[in-house]
Amino acid sequence: MTPHSGNTMAFLRACRRMIWLAPLFFAPVTATGETAPDVFDSSIRPIIENNCVACHGESAPQAELDLRAPASILKGGKSGPAVVPGSADQSLLLDKVVSGAMPPGDAALGREEIAAIRGWIDRLGQAEAALAHADISEKDVLPIFLMRCVVCHGKRAQEGGLDLRTLAGRLRGGKSGPALVPGDPDASLLFQRIVHEEMPPADLLFKYRVRPPSTGEVENLRRWIAAGALADPPHDPGQDSELPLTGEDRGFWSFRSPKSPPVPKVARDALVRNPIDAFLLEKLEANGLSFSPEADRLTLMRRAYLDLVGMPPTASQIRAHLADESPDAYERMVEELLDSPHYGERWAQHWLDVAGYADTEGIKHADHFRPQAWRYRDYVIRSLNQDKPYDRFLVEQLAGDELADYKKEVTPDALEFLAATGFLRLASDPTDSPSNASLAEKMDVIHDEIQVLGSSVLGLTMGCARCHDHKYDPISQKDYYRLSAVFQSAYDPYDWLDPTQRYLDVGDPKEIEETKRFNAPIQKQIDDLERAWKAKTGPLRNQVLESRLAALPEALRQDLKALLKTPEDQRNTVQKYLQRRFQKTLKVTDQGLARENEELKPQLAEFNKSLGELKKKLKPKPAVRALFDMGSEGSPTYVLQRGNAETIGERVYPGVPAVLRAGLPEYDPEIPSGRTDTTGYRLALARWLTHPEHPLTSRVLVNRVWMHHFGRGIVSTPADFGRTGARPSHPELLDWLATWFVDRDWSLKSLHRLMMTSTAYRQSSGRGLQGEADPEGHLWSRMSLRRMQAEVLYDSMLRATGRLDPDRFGPADPVERMDDGEVIAQGTKNGWRRAIYTQKRRLLRMTFLDLFDAPQMAPNCTERISSNVAPQALQLMNGFLARKLSRHLAGRLVDAHPGRAEDQVRELYLRVLTRRPTPEEMQMTLESLSDLAEKWTRHLENEQDEAPRRTTAHWSALASVSHALLTSAEFSYID
Amino acid sequence: MRNRLESPHIPRREFFSRLSDGLYGTALATLLGEDLYSSSNPALAGNGVHDLKPRAPHYRPQAKAVIHLFMNGGPSQVDLFDPKPELARLAGSAPPRDILNKIEFADQVGGLFPSPYKFKRRGRCGMELSELLPHLGEVVDDITLIRSMYGEHFNHEPAIYLMHSGRTLPNRPSLGSWVVYGLGSETRNLPGYVVLDDPKGLPINREQNWQSAWLPPVYQGTRFRSEGPPVLNLESRRNLPSDLIEAERALLRRLDTAHRDARPREPELDARIASYELAARMQLATSDALDLSQEDEATREMYGLNDELTRSYGTRCLMARRLVERGVRFVQIFIEGQIWDAHTNLEKMLTYSCGKTDRPAAALVKDLKRRGLLEETLVIWGGEFGRMPLAQVADRGADGRDHGPDGFSIWMAGGGVKGGLTYGGTDDIGHKAVDQRVSVHDFHATLLHLLGMNYRDLVYRRHGLDERLTDQFPARVVEEILV
Repeated sequence: MTPHSGNTMAFLRACRRMIWLAPLFFAPVTATGETAPDVFDSSIRPIIENNCVACHGESAPQAELDLRAPASILKGGKSGPAVVPGSADQSLLLDKVVSGAMPPGDAALGREEIAAIRGWIDRLGQAEAALAHADISEKDVLPIFLMRCVVCHGKRAQEGGLDLRTLAGRLRGGKSGPALVPGDPDASLLFQRIVHEEMPPADLLFKYRVRPPSTGEVENLRRWIAAGALADPPHDPGQDSELPLTGEDRGFWSFRSPKSPPVPKVARDALVRNPIDAFLLEKLEANGLSFSPEADRLTLMRRAYLDLVGMPPTASQIRAHLADESPDAYERMVEELLDSPHYGERWAQHWLDVAGYADTEGIKHADHFRPQAWRYRDYVIRSLNQDKPYDRFLVEQLAGDELADYKKEVTPDALEFLAATGFLRLASDPTDSPSNASLAEKMDVIHDEIQVLGSSVLGLTMGCARCHDHKYDPISQKDYYRLSAVFQSAYDPYDWLDPTQRYLDVGDPKEIEETKRFNAPIQKQIDDLERAWKAKTGPLRNQVLESRLAALPEALRQDLKALLKTPEDQRNTVQKYLQRRFQKTLKVTDQGLARENEELKPQLAEFNKSLGELKKKLKPKPAVRALFDMGSEGSPTYVLQRGNAETIGERVYPGVPAVLRAGLPEYDPEIPSGRTDTTGYRLALARWLTHPEHPLTSRVLVNRVWMHHFGRGIVSTPADFGRTGARPSHPELLDWLATWFVDRDWSLKSLHRLMMTSTAYRQSSGRGLQGEADPEGHLWSRMSLRRMQAEVLYDSMLRATGRLDPDRFGPADPVERMDDGEVIAQGTKNGWRRAIYTQKRRLLRMTFLDLFDAPQMAPNCTERISSNVAPQALQLMNGFLARKLSRHLAGRLVDAHPGRAEDQVRELYLRVLTRRPTPEEMQMTLESLSDLAEKWTRHLENEQDEAPRRTTAHWSALASVSHALLTSAEFSYID
Repeated sequence: MRNRLESPHIPRREFFSRLSDGLYGTALATLLGEDLYSSSNPALAGNGVHDLKPRAPHYRPQAKAVIHLFMNGGPSQVDLFDPKPELARLAGSAPPRDILNKIEFADQVGGLFPSPYKFKRRGRCGMELSELLPHLGEVVDDITLIRSMYGEHFNHEPAIYLMHSGRTLPNRPSLGSWVVYGLGSETRNLPGYVVLDDPKGLPINREQNWQSAWLPPVYQGTRFRSEGPPVLNLESRRNLPSDLIEAERALLRRLDTAHRDARPREPELDARIASYELAARMQLATSDALDLSQEDEATREMYGLNDELTRSYGTRCLMARRLVERGVRFVQIFIEGQIWDAHTNLEKMLTYSCGKTDRPAAALVKDLKRRGLLEETLVIWGGEFGRMPLAQVADRGADGRDHGPDGFSIWMAGGGVKGGLTYGGTDDIGHKAVDQRVSVHDFHATLLHLLGMNYRDLVYRRHGLDERLTDQFPARVVEEILV
């Protein structure tokens, strides 16, 4: 230690105390405790008795809130204290009456009554506050430790040998002795450090996104220590209050396991190709209806292609299909499509919707990029193409890290499983920025993942229960936090990893080697550039540092100089402190340098530009964006009253919603054998979810697949199978499908095959077919007309015009904003890849996809809408893509059938509309073509200097005709 | 449909099925009128058909249209709107402890920092305003200044989301989307919700600021650029001769009509054809609405169109007036980047941002008033939060202020708010709103109220819940500022 260090520390500490303890601004506290009860009796009690006590009174008060006396009001109920003494604006009671939420119904309180309550709360003083905290417990002070201390004194770091997570740890203390002396706040080191604002350290506040405790919290801490620093009684799960479940709750249709019903007999059994038809016909016949006639072959072909692979057939596929006259030609076509690699690309999009896939984080303006997110997308595509059983698919996504001991050996399977956990990493996560890393924001990430899981797999709106018991379904707030506890061994809000830390440095050895080889020469250029810059600016940097030090007091200057001479790993505690405190002075950044040297600015800009360009060329090192368990000893999970991180309620343990437990094995986590680094929490959840008897998992999935094939779900609210959701229109069919699906080993391809080979699927579309008997098609007396989804429209335009680059997988193609503001995908040398391979940037969304209702993930999309707005017309009529593709297509048609306009038109219809033109259409189209060609000829005469082959009038006219077909309603709609 | 604003109308399917021919003809365009700009999705249970037809509000509205001058970045209340002589006395002293809980850069806290600007009483009402806002001073008798706004987050993105959508999170519908969802539009040739962004760059959160999120896309803000082609793809990128465009469209028309005729009673197909018609009308109407050469010289001068500093913002203010005149319901004007975000260099930044916006904003109020439009047009000026009354200590000194969400100022004019009123107040140092506090939710409830809507009843059903602009937060209509 240098002779000055001690002085410096004392000096700094004294300064800070002087500043912070200035009493000038502390709000005066008026103690009016004696008068308040009188006010309560005279003016508040009558209001409460007239309006509130019917529910919040003597026997079993609602939400455990008893409003009859000041003490019980202060104590509050399930949502925490009903009033904050002295602060009406922060009091729940006032919130509720002002907003009209309470009393329920139309009986709102009058303005004067509200004013009286406001006045009473505002005048409540310390006496009442003391009353409310008479039984102060560890829970009341836990947020101080969990939110503000354990980041440095907890599981991962134990600065000064101190671990503040548990009472034992606090009593044991660290290098400086016990941190806590029960009964004596002034002798308790941790209290002293907090009171004097030495802890949490001011210079670390921003980095760890920690806020100093408020005056009230410090006071609570003092009182807790003074009262003996007692621990909360140990948790007794037998004593847990549970939301009472009624027989009605448990008997609700979607909470009971599906049982396979008998297949009904119907009159028109010739129409029954498989049980789907029987179930539908039963209801149709009861309504005096039947199926519509079968659609013609090409209509069916187009429907099947667009449904299964998301693109229309090519001209040669059409010709081949028409030439196949065998009776099972349709079935074989469906088989071919199921085997097509494009099947996974199309159906992955449906799954990515419910999972909430995006390539960036959003939230922050910088819209941080997720360089490895595509591995999850590829995992989904591959899994679907392999027809991976759905139960397996879910287990891998929920607990892939617990399936393989990836720390021991990185097998190809392990890589796949880790990539699968990307499912739980899709919610927006801004927490790598200190100013967006509050506890609430971390909990938002967990919340979004629970929402995604609930709406995609369970078909339940779990999110509601974050702040209160679910209003409609028997899902308690405790159920929510139990589920949150399942995730807490990976998403620990008190021991948080920001998104940049949630990568595993593992990859395919071949890919790693290739990346290394690719990056080596670029990295060398970068190193050279940086070395040259350092050499060039070194002397200048020293100069600036000298002048900065010269401006400091002598004692400090000496200390800092000594510090700079000491190698980083040999610095003592004081030096480390100074290093932190003066890091801005000590570190002369490029910007700092340039500010003081005007002539350096252009050079710095040049340097940064070259550096940036080089770095852009680097391929990111293979890694997996994964969710991984951090093992036992995680932080405890509590019910948070009103969802507020600072009001801790009952402690909970990992578990599943109570209402879904009947008939299923217990949720019983087990540490996977041979592992010590994982809890098995999520694996147990995944096993529970995929139990064959689970009432929701299979029903929700078959309903989704049905919706994508038939335009509407059997349950028309695919993400809500609860009370507010729709009831199934064909409950027996749904249950039959759900059990059939599980019996077929959860095979999705079997399910597609079954649905697509039914008579129901092969019907014609069209509202006119069955009169008014089934106006919305809810009985499936016909297929419904559907507009292509955004990606299907985009991919189909590329495919029909021959500009689809069939390259699959890998990093997404970048998107860019053009001068006029349109955001497009960058093309490849072969055209453009399918929409699923373009970047999904939350703040830079491809205009084309955006306009046709590609979803913004919030946090996911469980059902797309299909809008019909003028900007879509503008995009198709005037947008760059349709125009460019039409010209390309025209060129191909001319090349394929030079000089034969009729053949060109025939081919055009086949490629774009999957059919041949009628004679009338042929005539009309040829007329338009010659009319357009004539007009083009006139216009081209004015530009005589430009007449190469490709700009002949005919080609341009054919491009116009192609454009009309490509942007026509017939192209965008599926019959 | 859970929106209780629905006015009686002919069932849509019936309406369309009665029109057998004349599509693309003037007859249909006139007949269908407002129904054209529509977004229908029969598959979406519970929320019905969505369009821009004007709908009756819940009760008699004061305002019919809104112009929102959004001042992203966080304008400093103590330098512009909220004089605090106490700050001068306490200059340099330490701030109260609990301030540290709500500050972005907790490691850069300096002492209390009095405003370098003088305040003067302006207008008949004697409202105190900073010398930085001389033009606004000329219209103080027409505005309500709220000095007691408070937010929930100290960082731009969440705070801007809060101001636009009622939550500090992305992916919720914007204010303008809610308004147009509730009221529809008074124009059938222009979008109901128009955004005029700054040619110098998009604001923080970019297009998310005017998104409809899970409200149907028909309620999304349409971005009109004030330079170059105003709407994306309004005209063809390749300048095709008009006779060719006409011939190509004639072919498309024939294809679409035949396609529709072969599929009777599909309203979706009629609506699609109609949306092409609207697209064509928009091309004309937009050019007309944004053509400022139709304005006289005095008006152009008033908005500052002849001055380099004010031209850009003035152009957009004048465009906003022309759009509102034509029946657009909600216009939002954004400014470039973060010109109010004075972490350092406070004086230089405020000189620029006030110089750029003060004159045009005041001109907008004057111009609306003299045309008799102010009574039914609500003008709102404000950002996502204010700034701290303390200095922010940065590398190069302490001449800026950090974000301050606990107390800030906004002003409103016309559309049913009082003139010459100063409402609410902050504590002695201008940090925290203490008197007559107005939350962002209160602000939203008040805005909807002025438009004739009750914030509790403007709902959209989603995932089994009634969603509201104010979400589940308590909110209060600030009745004291209403005429």
